[in-house]
Amino acid sequence: MDALKIQHVNAMPAPTWGWLKMNDVSIEIPADLERKCRVEIEAASELYEPNVSFEGALAALQERLDAARADAPVDTRAMLIAATGEDHGAEELDVPALSTYERRAVLSEHADDVARDFETGVGIDMRAYLNFLAGGTPVLATEAGGEAEATIRVTAQAGEASGASLDIVAAPDSTLELALSLDSAAEEPAFIGSTLRIFAGARSRVNLTVYLTASDAVTVVEDSGFVLDEDARVTVRHVVLGGAFTATGLAADLRGDRSRIDIDTSYLASGTEQRDFNYIIRHRGKRTLSNMDANGVLTGTSKKCLRGTIDLIHGAKGAQGNERETVLLASKGVDNKTVPTILCDEDDVAGNHGATIGHVRPEQLFYAACRGLSQEETEALFLSAKLEEAALNAPDDAIRSNVIRLGNALIPQFAEEFDFDDEGDLEEEIA
Amino acid sequence: MAKQRTEVADIDRSLYDFRYGEEGFERLDAGLTPDIVREISERKNEPAWMLKHRLKSLEIYNKFPDPTWGPGIEGLDMDHIVTYVKPNTDQQATWDEVPDDIKNTFERLGIPEAERSYLAGVGAQYDSELVYHNMQGTAAQMGIVYSGIEEALQEPKWEAMIREKFMTLIPPTDHKFAALHGAVWSGGSFVYVPKGVKLDFPLQSYFRLNAKGAGQFEHTLIIVEDDADLHFIEGCSAPKYNVANLHAGAVELFVGKRAHLRYSTIENWSKNMYNLNTKRARCEEEGEIEWISGSFGSHVGYLYPMSVLVGRKSRSSFTGITFAGAGQNLDTGCKVVLGAPETSASVETKSISKGGGISTFRSSIVATPAAEGSAASVSCQSLMLDDISRSDTIPAMDIRAKNVDIGHEATIGRIGDDKIFYLMSRGISEEEARTMIVNGFANPVSKELPLEYAVEMNNLIKLEMEGAIG
Repeated sequence: MDALKIQHVNAMPAPTWGWLKMNDVSIEIPADLERKCRVEIEAASELYEPNVSFEGALAALQERLDAARADAPVDTRAMLIAATGEDHGAEELDVPALSTYERRAVLSEHADDVARDFETGVGIDMRAYLNFLAGGTPVLATEAGGEAEATIRVTAQAGEASGASLDIVAAPDSTLELALSLDSAAEEPAFIGSTLRIFAGARSRVNLTVYLTASDAVTVVEDSGFVLDEDARVTVRHVVLGGAFTATGLAADLRGDRSRIDIDTSYLASGTEQRDFNYIIRHRGKRTLSNMDANGVLTGTSKKCLRGTIDLIHGAKGAQGNERETVLLASKGVDNKTVPTILCDEDDVAGNHGATIGHVRPEQLFYAACRGLSQEETEALFLSAKLEEAALNAPDDAIRSNVIRLGNALIPQFAEEFDFDDEGDLEEEIA
Repeated sequence: MAKQRTEVADIDRSLYDFRYGEEGFERLDAGLTPDIVREISERKNEPAWMLKHRLKSLEIYNKFPDPTWGPGIEGLDMDHIVTYVKPNTDQQATWDEVPDDIKNTFERLGIPEAERSYLAGVGAQYDSELVYHNMQGTAAQMGIVYSGIEEALQEPKWEAMIREKFMTLIPPTDHKFAALHGAVWSGGSFVYVPKGVKLDFPLQSYFRLNAKGAGQFEHTLIIVEDDADLHFIEGCSAPKYNVANLHAGAVELFVGKRAHLRYSTIENWSKNMYNLNTKRARCEEEGEIEWISGSFGSHVGYLYPMSVLVGRKSRSSFTGITFAGAGQNLDTGCKVVLGAPETSASVETKSISKGGGISTFRSSIVATPAAEGSAASVSCQSLMLDDISRSDTIPAMDIRAKNVDIGHEATIGRIGDDKIFYLMSRGISEEEARTMIVNGFANPVSKELPLEYAVEMNNLIKLEMEGAIG
């Protein structure tokens, strides 16, 4: 039976030349996988609040936004005239000829519709498949001013496809610690995935840590979409260590003034693995802030594509978006693609991007050579350092064990070398 | 952040926005058909292979979809574009022989004066044909060939070379408007610089599109042999009409071993122009291509000079500025292929958006597996001068080689308060401080141009600081 092919996954909002093959990605899922919902949610029962919904949270936010913009001046920009095609007496050649994405962007700004603008990183078709696998979408909601934790674990055995779909609503002034583990030790093809819709209420704090530790036979898709109200702050840590093919998609709508998102991505790809990332940060509120920091190591003949879009939308006065990526190419056959995009429709903003793509520095090699290490051995050290860091900072023991299992598969005696016992606990050093 | 904005005047186009009639000119019918392509070829008395190439290109053009990633081109209706307009003169070797209207046009643009002052040779194209071509005797004695490309095609020696190189760097299959160019190209220059020859003064081609609703499709082919050196300047302008005009030229540059070519352009089309131009260079071992590029006019612009570095230690640098004002959507940038060991590339671009204009910086750096030990740095800065304009940055990098160093940095924003404050704390007025900062922003490009062109660029930008307070 043919594989299920889902196209236009992780599509960047403003595409570039097609020949670069970076605008999006297609994912093939073996058609004979058995749908199986292997999802565990560890959360206090108080978080399952039946009267709260993601849509309801967006509607309440929309109501406030509509009231606030009732007195806003009429938008007469030439770009809007061009996008709507309305007759304002302007000659066709006097208004700019918009691209498809520019037209879409201007119309979206004009409509200012929170629900319609909502998006996740992987795109509609892939999200529909994840929703199909999950079968239902529970809602986790915090109480105003409260603090809560939740852990979601998604796994699959060989020949299975398993997915989770969750809505999360963080009430004003609340704090939520979320951990998400996507793991499978399957040695035959399998699929695991998750899709989260997260509303961060006013002044709330949402911290999301995601670990992908699947074996090299498994396809993994991790998807999320955030909407941030005033002064909300979201921190995301993506640790992507395993999986034959992984797609990570995140879209954030910084709708509330002074809202902020910080994304720290750490990835590793070895053998023939592929990593695909799509980050879309839309700055709509005033003085909003985003920081994206990605750091990765590519070895073997692995491939990686990272699309990062900072969209500074008209009206987001004082907003700032920063993006930085550092990639270490540790082998000859790797393929590293990066397209860091800044879209800017507002002058009183700052968008910054920096990328460094390189190999182990000569001074680092010299230091290592003085200690008897070859270039290959030195580069392998970077790989194991990435795994060790991930293990040390894992949210819980189960996730740490997953990292150790993956580390042992990649580096002989990884656990022993770094003083981890079989369960992943760090052994105390004996003086 | 500051509440005040820098006021920058629109480009003063009066110098370029004048036109003359077309009495005695020959216009083909508007539209694009095999018969029109055949007629263009017939008028030029071309070799048979060129007609075949044209017809094949037309076939390819008809199969290509419009690009979906860039500025809208719905307003460009090829059924209303005249692809060939012949002025009422043949190519002349002295300005005195050029008809008055055409001569006056180039006088007003300062071309003959520039030729007298510092150029080693000049080619001037009016609509679809070259009307003037001349080169100093000293350059000719060095073995340099600078002529119309159609003229060169009539010489068996150069025909063979042109056939070998023509549209090999920019094949008609490259994109829709490369195919269009392949079908209806007309005019343009051929330059051959022999091995070891270094020309101290630049050559210049100037392209003027005067005809309403017409297209200009000149082809420039430059071959700089091993150890040779050339600076080539290209200028373009057109008067404004209320219908679309089209420019789809092509520039192919071949840079030999240890050779050096600097290609400077000021593209200054009128605001009804669709500028869909393609430029590409190929560099052999230790060869170097330098692009200096200013994009000012046009309603829509797609312009990305590309360097293909195929020789070990070959180098490319790109310095560009784009100014997008009211009604303009300029999508500009560059492409680099690092295709051999120890190649290097640097890209430095500036863009300014104002008055509702849209500026997009788009680039690609591709390092093939052969590019071990190569390096590239990309820096793009965008300045937004008001909150009704737009500026996007879409740089792509595809790195497949080991031991490479690729760096990229981009910033978008307005003039920083801290900079204004710093200058004001040293006794400079706010208005003056803003002027200095904007001038400084454009300086990396203007300093790379010959003096006369730097002056022209400053005239184009003409930064008028007014009402800096509020």
